Amino acid sequence: MNPRFTLDEWMCVELARTIGDGEIVFHGFGSPCAQVAMHVAKRTHAPHMVLIEGATYALDPVPAFLPPTSNDWSLLTGAPHVLRFEELFDLGARGDLDRMFLSGGQIDPYGNTNVSMIGPRDRPKVKLGGGGGGCNLSATVGALTIWTTRHGSGRTLVQRCDFITDMGHRTPAGSRTELGFPGGGPEAMITDLGAFDFPEGRARLTRLYPDVDVEAVRGATGFELEVADRVQTMTPPTEAELRTVREVDPTGVRRSEFGSADLARAYTLHGEVAVA
Amino acid sequence: MTVRRRTADDKRCGLPEAAGLVADGDVVAIGGGLSHREPMALVRELIRQGRRDLHVVGSAHGIDVDQLIGAEAIGVVEQSYVGFEQDFGLAPAYRRAAGQGAVQLRESCCYTILQQLRAAEYGLPFIPVRGIIGSDVLHLHPEYSEITCPFTGQRLIAVPPLAPDVALIHGLLADQHGNVHVRRPLVLDERFAFASRRVVVTVERLASSQEVSAAGVTIPYFLVDAVVEAPYGAHPTSCYPHYTYDREHIAAWIAAAAGDEGIREYFETYLAPDECHYRDQIGEAALARLRTFDESPERWQELMA
Repeated sequence: MNPRFTLDEWMCVELARTIGDGEIVFHGFGSPCAQVAMHVAKRTHAPHMVLIEGATYALDPVPAFLPPTSNDWSLLTGAPHVLRFEELFDLGARGDLDRMFLSGGQIDPYGNTNVSMIGPRDRPKVKLGGGGGGCNLSATVGALTIWTTRHGSGRTLVQRCDFITDMGHRTPAGSRTELGFPGGGPEAMITDLGAFDFPEGRARLTRLYPDVDVEAVRGATGFELEVADRVQTMTPPTEAELRTVREVDPTGVRRSEFGSADLARAYTLHGEVAVA
Repeated sequence: MTVRRRTADDKRCGLPEAAGLVADGDVVAIGGGLSHREPMALVRELIRQGRRDLHVVGSAHGIDVDQLIGAEAIGVVEQSYVGFEQDFGLAPAYRRAAGQGAVQLRESCCYTILQQLRAAEYGLPFIPVRGIIGSDVLHLHPEYSEITCPFTGQRLIAVPPLAPDVALIHGLLADQHGNVHVRRPLVLDERFAFASRRVVVTVERLASSQEVSAAGVTIPYFLVDAVVEAPYGAHPTSCYPHYTYDREHIAAWIAAAAGDEGIREYFETYLAPDECHYRDQIGEAALARLRTFDESPERWQELMA
């Protein structure tokens, strides 16, 4: 196995590590990094996790590869059962989904995400695809893992979303408690620059990749950056985690989420930056 | 035209007649989802017939809605998502029409749509859902209303029943009475069939009642107004266990839909006059190739590359 690995692989491993063993976990469609992460978690540290596929609602499948679309029968391979649409969303509504993954074209400090539109509502500059099930599920799912591969662009982490699709810890309408949401909201955010937690319901930088410093994160973040007392370097993937990423996603569907400059970011298993 | 009674012994008809059950301005529920089992033969026929001002409702969709928008057939989009995921990204016709204000954006959420369909099925005037408060999706829907639970005092959103004028569904098998066999993932197909005022079905193959019954009836005959045999009726989306999605053709649509001229050329090439012409244009070899996915995992993977 090639011990040199790239940012896309590391990010998928970081996302996988947010999943606890025994959790019932769901990824949305069009979310290859979250999808890879779930399969990696299931095959490494979380064998008792209940893995629900993002658009087929297949339970615990073992696909030979990940297709570039989420509603495909290849994602039923090895699944003992396929849930109904109704069953998945009812699980979420009654609080029995422990975790789901959300991303956004814009993400604010409270973990609100925008996957709907950039610009004015009547004539948006960019109409994004839309939120799928997010604006109900984000209220009731136990914990949310947020991710973006575009933090470095400087346009993704913003003070205010043009449109809030999925709710984080606080929206202009109030806090989760005030809005009566039973779910816990964003717990972790993994980006192409680092990792965040939400100790007071607001994103706080806790860890960095070895080729990024706090100033770079500050420069790419559109809101005032909160930083933990001791920012640590992320722990690189183990050999087993890395091997599993490559097994789960042999065609590299996860790479479609990244720009070419970020795909060139490479590391060694000791967590050092690899020279090309 | 005469609307077929739902108890008619024989609901078989041609595609033009079936698409004729959709009127301008109708609320239309399109079956399937994303790149899977969307009723594309019906979508194409609606475009041929020049339907206008449709109000589409449903969960996460792709080329079906994007082509209808490209044909200027849609006035209101009430889907939870329209796009091509990580595969090809944003839906080009949708993005452009939204930016020009040419379609009304009433983006919804998967569970909200499901619960609205259930309210219609349950015969209730509303159903409460959690979430939506705090999301700007709320502001796209003046028909929603915040309520307080009379038992717990919780804040909830009441959403009205959704009974689409017509549901369009592509299944695997049907008999002449309209019993339909579909396989999972069903997405919202069953809910659409029960909640809608009219149900129009295309299938890969018409079969005897015995064969449909043995395969399993997903949608019972008394809900169905018309059935049409439309082989490759979901193309270029997938229709397992028969064929996978045609990634190359979807790529061709994405390229064409970059501009109005490209869309016009695409429709000129593929649409008129009928589905035989469409299948000829795609080509027998290209269609047969999509059926080879089950030869091996490697083959399947190759078809997705």
